[in-house]
Amino acid sequence: MKKHYAFLVDSERCIGCFTCAMACRNYYHQEKGVVWRHVYPLSEEIYPHRERAFFSLACNHCENPTCLNVCPVEAYTKREDGVVVHHQEKCIGCGNCIRSCPYGAPVYNPVEKRAEKCSFCHERLDAGLLPACVQSCPTDALKLVDLATLEPENHVQFPPGFPKNAKVNPSTRFILPKVPTMVRR
Amino acid sequence: MTGQATFKEDCMSQKTRALSRRQFLKGLSVAGAASLLPLRLLMPYSAEAATAFREQDFQIFRNACPRNCYDTCSIKTYVKDGVVKFIEGAQESTFTKGGLCVKGYAYPRRVYSPDRIKYPMVQDGRRTGNWRRVSWDEAMDRIAKKILEIKEKDGNLLGMGLSKYSGNFGITNYGVEGMMSSLGYTTRFVGTPCWPAGIDAQNYDLGDMWCNDPEDMVKSRFVIIWGANPAWCSVHSMKYVNEAKRRGAKVVVIDPIFTQTAAKGDVYWQPETSSDGALALGMARHILDQGLVDTDFVNTHAIGFAEFAAYLRENVTVEWASQVSGIPAVQIREVAEEFATADPATIWIGYGMQRHTNGGASVRAIDALVAMTGNVGKEGGGARYGHLRTWGFNYHALLQKQPEGSTGFIGATGPKGEFDFTKGEAASFTDRTVNINKTAQAILDTKDPVLRMLWVSCKNPFAQDFDRPKLEKAFDTLEMVVSVEQFFTETVNNSDIVLPVTTLFEEWTVNASYWHYWVGINEQAITPMYETKSNIEIAALLSRKMNELSPGSCTFPQDIDTREWLEKEFNQGMYDYLGIKHWTDLKNGPVKAKLASSASWSDMKFGTPSGKYEFLSELCQQNGHDALPRYKEGRKAYDEFRLLTPHTKFGLHSQFVNLDWMQEFNKEPFLYMHPDDAQEKKIADLDTVRVFNKVGELKIKVKLTSNVAKKSLVIYEAWFGAGNDFNVQNLVDDESSDMGAYKTGAPGVAIHGQFANVERV
Amino acid sequence: MQSSMELPLVLFTVLSQAAIGLVLMNAVRQCRCAGPGEGNVRMEWTLIAAFMGVGIAASLFHLGHPLESYRALAHLEKAWLSREVLAAGIFFALAVLAAVTGREKGSPVLMWASVLAGLLVVLASGMTYAPPALPAVNNALPTVFFLISAVVLGAGFASWFAGAESQPLLARILVTALVVGLVVRLTVPCAWLSGSEVMRQTGMAWLGAPLYWVHIALMAACLGVLWKSRAIPVWLPILALAAELAGRAVFFSETIHTSMNIGGVY
Repeated sequence: MKKHYAFLVDSERCIGCFTCAMACRNYYHQEKGVVWRHVYPLSEEIYPHRERAFFSLACNHCENPTCLNVCPVEAYTKREDGVVVHHQEKCIGCGNCIRSCPYGAPVYNPVEKRAEKCSFCHERLDAGLLPACVQSCPTDALKLVDLATLEPENHVQFPPGFPKNAKVNPSTRFILPKVPTMVRR
Repeated sequence: MTGQATFKEDCMSQKTRALSRRQFLKGLSVAGAASLLPLRLLMPYSAEAATAFREQDFQIFRNACPRNCYDTCSIKTYVKDGVVKFIEGAQESTFTKGGLCVKGYAYPRRVYSPDRIKYPMVQDGRRTGNWRRVSWDEAMDRIAKKILEIKEKDGNLLGMGLSKYSGNFGITNYGVEGMMSSLGYTTRFVGTPCWPAGIDAQNYDLGDMWCNDPEDMVKSRFVIIWGANPAWCSVHSMKYVNEAKRRGAKVVVIDPIFTQTAAKGDVYWQPETSSDGALALGMARHILDQGLVDTDFVNTHAIGFAEFAAYLRENVTVEWASQVSGIPAVQIREVAEEFATADPATIWIGYGMQRHTNGGASVRAIDALVAMTGNVGKEGGGARYGHLRTWGFNYHALLQKQPEGSTGFIGATGPKGEFDFTKGEAASFTDRTVNINKTAQAILDTKDPVLRMLWVSCKNPFAQDFDRPKLEKAFDTLEMVVSVEQFFTETVNNSDIVLPVTTLFEEWTVNASYWHYWVGINEQAITPMYETKSNIEIAALLSRKMNELSPGSCTFPQDIDTREWLEKEFNQGMYDYLGIKHWTDLKNGPVKAKLASSASWSDMKFGTPSGKYEFLSELCQQNGHDALPRYKEGRKAYDEFRLLTPHTKFGLHSQFVNLDWMQEFNKEPFLYMHPDDAQEKKIADLDTVRVFNKVGELKIKVKLTSNVAKKSLVIYEAWFGAGNDFNVQNLVDDESSDMGAYKTGAPGVAIHGQFANVERV
Repeated sequence: MQSSMELPLVLFTVLSQAAIGLVLMNAVRQCRCAGPGEGNVRMEWTLIAAFMGVGIAASLFHLGHPLESYRALAHLEKAWLSREVLAAGIFFALAVLAAVTGREKGSPVLMWASVLAGLLVVLASGMTYAPPALPAVNNALPTVFFLISAVVLGAGFASWFAGAESQPLLARILVTALVVGLVVRLTVPCAWLSGSEVMRQTGMAWLGAPLYWVHIALMAACLGVLWKSRAIPVWLPILALAAELAGRAVFFSETIHTSMNIGGVY
């Protein structure tokens, strides 16, 4: 398989601290209301304790990205290493990618009047650095992996709580969270 | 708030806008435009490398987070054109390990927030919002004249008080205390709301509060996290807990709330709040019965174990402990045995655990558990609470002399605090000390002379002090309140003058942690924004004005350079401890102290009167408590629900949660309550409810969850910014904890020993 | 990602479908009756061009950078939106040409070319607004909805221009389209209720939206009126247009996006 950068979201290690979300904001200074990385709590139907397990999600840099497919001005390209890049200067703000991405990755920038999304910090990747979010994670819950070399272990592609779309083939992989033994008074 | 509108317009004219994201990326992606060309597909991969991030495009500075936090992160700051572009954690520190936290990463917004106070301002009428800008000279003139007026009226300066705590732990910020000393003998609010009961307890047991290097938790085979929530309040520590787990350790989390940390442990215990002493004693009794006591330790390195054992046999059973705490006896026995047989085993004693009327006693019981199993002085072991070993600075900023002829308080020794490193000299006059944990009551009660003026810095009394309704009344008795602040907090709203202070990026200082053993320099990365000044620059300015109006009335140097004052804090002791030649070595990154062992007390030379671990402490008894870690009951309920107001992960007390960046992820406060209790009260998820008790009331939205125990209400304390009146202190009173006076000058507060009721609105 | 009403897109899709419907009715009348040019040819083409023109203009308000909209033709290879832009452009050009060159009898070539272009617009639109992120409509439903709109509005407005002999035919077509439309637009949201979580939420949202019931009521009203009188009153197409605009607003604002449920069971 060709090299393909991806995020590994380890929900067992993840403590929902939002460091990754703020590290992204610290690096890119997005406009108010524009969020590239969310930390979604898992509902109690999936993880039995409210707001105690999370998926940290930005862009899934899909193998067959919807955004790229539906963009009328070809403002998206997919790099050789898998990163899906949005070229904001080409964007006309039609909102089609925003509507079409199952994961809500592209968002509308009301000041630029264009879409934008997580860029995998590709300018950092090219300098041999980790994406801002990955570097920031205090528990190594958010990791950078290469799908070409990722050993099959305990990760899944479509955990409960994450929209399944095999055609789009998101590159993000997940490890599911565990629960402790509960001794209540 | 009309007043705010006018000053905001004023401030807007000088608004500095950080480089927009688009410009930032434009600067980075040179090839971006080229991608519009038809030939883009033919461009070699290396063209993308041409847009790669380059560190040399930035000026790099080293900073250290000065917040009251275990992690005290070392920060690497990237500046371009005199503007902080972004920051990250220092890679050199194995503790910080390249990343900060959700709060730390919001720092750039704090520096450039449009809500930041930019100039000295005067409020015409407290709480009116009628703020107007004044010059530093006018501000200092008003303040200096008031100080002189007090001196004239009372013959001393005891009518001037200082309310300061941990809002900024940069060492040179002790210059605020120094400023007060340089004016004369004043009234100091001493003590600490934070951890005093536990400090006293550890001092009685071990002779000092001194924890292991947290990085050695990886060696532990059994970890109990007791009343602490590192997943929210010490995120960098979680990797050590995780690693211990990965190596096979068992992690037990004990907390009245099912915290995020609890979700990451192997076993979660939810005991009755403040029953921790009984629980620990029950475990101790079982360990004693099973013959799992480390006899070598208790015989050789401790005193009073025989008496403690006798107490356990006569007064403590596992069944009793189970009844008091609610934890099943079989569980108590199982965990006690596992804890006693694991080698090493450790307990992380949280500050929340001791914020009770019996907090000190509970800590002593838990210390005893660690000691009797021989885990004191072991790498990977220990009763972890905190330390101050890396705080051996000169405190030059703190130590200023009163002017000639100053008169003051005649009485017991002067002010203390756990951060007081001065060797108290016997003096005929001293400062007058009052309990910081009863700030409102102290302001109301203090007489001869009354408190006329309050200087507030590195503290937000209206957010952090207790019984807010009482505090408002207390503030109203003060003639002048001066706040040194960055945002229009509630305390500022109740002040007459506000002085704009610098952030960590705008001053030189140094920070140490009370948990890990790294020390980092804090360089001035940018010129101070607007007219902000650091605390010691403010002191210098005040000194100049004081001496202008009345020569010799203030000894604080009138010209200071924060970098010079930083230098003055270092001594050979610190250099040796850190293994550096000069403080400038820290410009390459933070440095870890050279520890003989990662374990505290590894040499078994305890700081107690006997030089040994004291299960039985006469000193403790002399100070009005039990000599043994006997069980002490918690506070009796005075209302239907237990009220807990712990820390949110999104802020550090009243800092950060007000930032718009933070509100992207944390929009509003919630009350958390158990679904069964909600059903009884006909409350549905996300309803607005009214929480009320004898102190006051609060209206808030509710989230239902079994994370919270039945008959328990949980509200995370925070300040959501000007215009939002959410404040948990409307429900918390100033009931004291048992211990704290010995080492910190005043007893602590039973912050979690509170009760309230709730109803639908 | 929260759905907004997307007024520019409501206007574009409804008005373009009205224009395309008119062209379709033109073709139907032509097959059934004498030949091209039945009725007031020029006026009809003018309305077609006007509907399309206003629709396209409205759609530009949807863009962040309308002046660069010409670049939207760049991705015909993969993007249905590019194809929609192309087809709409061609259709509009044909309509303008027909309106400008229109005589007593219309040009059959222009008409059939417009029919083809119009159907391509409906197809491309239908595919554009059926993304994977909207599970309820990630299928042929948008195309079906749009086709129904086209026939309803086309038949309705064609009655303004058609000759007397074609009126009964148009009325029958309109009744049929309204019946089919009501059946489809009533049953589909109900069917969604037994679908996956986001589909179910979409069903609940549609059925709970006042504007949806306004849409149904207005369509039913149109049907009621036509059932009584077997001719299309001159004001009826306006009522039908209101119905379609309401329904389209619901389509855009109440169709739930998968990203609204991340963290929840799907």
